[in-house]
Amino acid sequence: MSKLFYDHLLDLSELEALIKKNVKDQEARGEIYRLIDEIVHHRVVGCILERLPGEHHKEFIDHVATRAHDETILDFIRERVSDDVEEFIKHEIYLVGREILEMFDARLQRDDLDKPRA
Amino acid sequence: MKPVFDHEDLRNKLKLKHLQTKKDFSDKYHDANQFLISKGIDLSKIREHSTKLISAGALAGSLALSSPNLSLALLPPPHEVIEKAKSNLPPVSRAVSLREALHKILPEQVRPLSETEEKYLEKIISELTGIPVRATLEGEHLNQTYGRIGAEQHLRRYPGDTLAAQKPETTDYGGEDPEEILKEGIAPGLGAWGYFAPSQEALTPDLEETERWYAVVQTLYLPDWNTRFRYLRDWYKYRKVIIVNTDNGKAVVAAIADSGPAAWTGKHFGGSPEVMDYLGGPRYKKGPVILFFVDDAENKIPLGPVSYNDV
Repeated sequence: MSKLFYDHLLDLSELEALIKKNVKDQEARGEIYRLIDEIVHHRVVGCILERLPGEHHKEFIDHVATRAHDETILDFIRERVSDDVEEFIKHEIYLVGREILEMFDARLQRDDLDKPRA
Repeated sequence: MKPVFDHEDLRNKLKLKHLQTKKDFSDKYHDANQFLISKGIDLSKIREHSTKLISAGALAGSLALSSPNLSLALLPPPHEVIEKAKSNLPPVSRAVSLREALHKILPEQVRPLSETEEKYLEKIISELTGIPVRATLEGEHLNQTYGRIGAEQHLRRYPGDTLAAQKPETTDYGGEDPEEILKEGIAPGLGAWGYFAPSQEALTPDLEETERWYAVVQTLYLPDWNTRFRYLRDWYKYRKVIIVNTDNGKAVVAAIADSGPAAWTGKHFGGSPEVMDYLGGPRYKKGPVILFFVDDAENKIPLGPVSYNDV
């Protein structure tokens, strides 16, 4: 695995700490990491498509397909969307983190999952 | 009463959420999803796809262009940087020289480096530290050699090991303030390679050093991890690496003893409490580093801080 254009906005370290604390089986932990990663991909790309005018969807998807590592994709979005692109992506990641946290037994939950940073 | 956690339950819930998320995406963004499919891209596998593109070298040009710092062609050749650094006295300034050289070479944001950038860095780090380092060793290469490292906990070395048993002696690293080294705690699970020794009696000084100076790398995301699992599992076990803090030039030799961190943490490597303390001090939790393999077939290079004074 390598870099994606939004990797620098990811910070679900506290969720990882909770999983490491409770899932001791390496194989299970690896699969859980993968599932979360794939959920995040869909939600991040989805939240971008939600705000990006339809006429730019194909071009955006083309950028993702040909240079998914490239942070200048964020500039492409920034020029076409009025919302702060980094903020709404961070917020979406934060929501994913909260939703997954809720899957844990309430007694195991920690309320210190990283908040989206201003 | 302590709650009992069932990881199968979490895994099943996540599988359902995963399916639902994919369905929601394809329902809501049908055209975009079809366009992705027409390009042969599965959004679930976008990381693997990105890795293949970068590994193929097709993006070397665009990676270099995305660096705000350079073009490598504008930098002096490595031997000039090395000679300049070596002419500086006292030797401790080599850490400063290394830091300055790294600042000239590295992009502001961490990202996979091109082969040319890695070769340039190999020469400079090898010469200034006296340790032969390689981005690619015996054909193996991590997905990322320039990334963010995060603080890890101590690992259990043998069945029944405790945090208290890992308290450093006065002559050990951190012995002057053991609480500083112990405060990270001990991981509830084992490292990816299990216990270091089957029993306390079987724990050798070498294995103690291995736990003290351990590194975590993302073997779980290697593109061939599943297909070459048996070979790679053995190859990476306790493999020596050099970790250089690009903010201050401090370097440490560590042994790989766990797999992680998860991609969605924004981190690419992990370091034991001792590794992190040496690289950045007691409050250092996360920061950019270079991580290369140490070419030490004869097992002569000790784990721990790199002493520039010995170069």
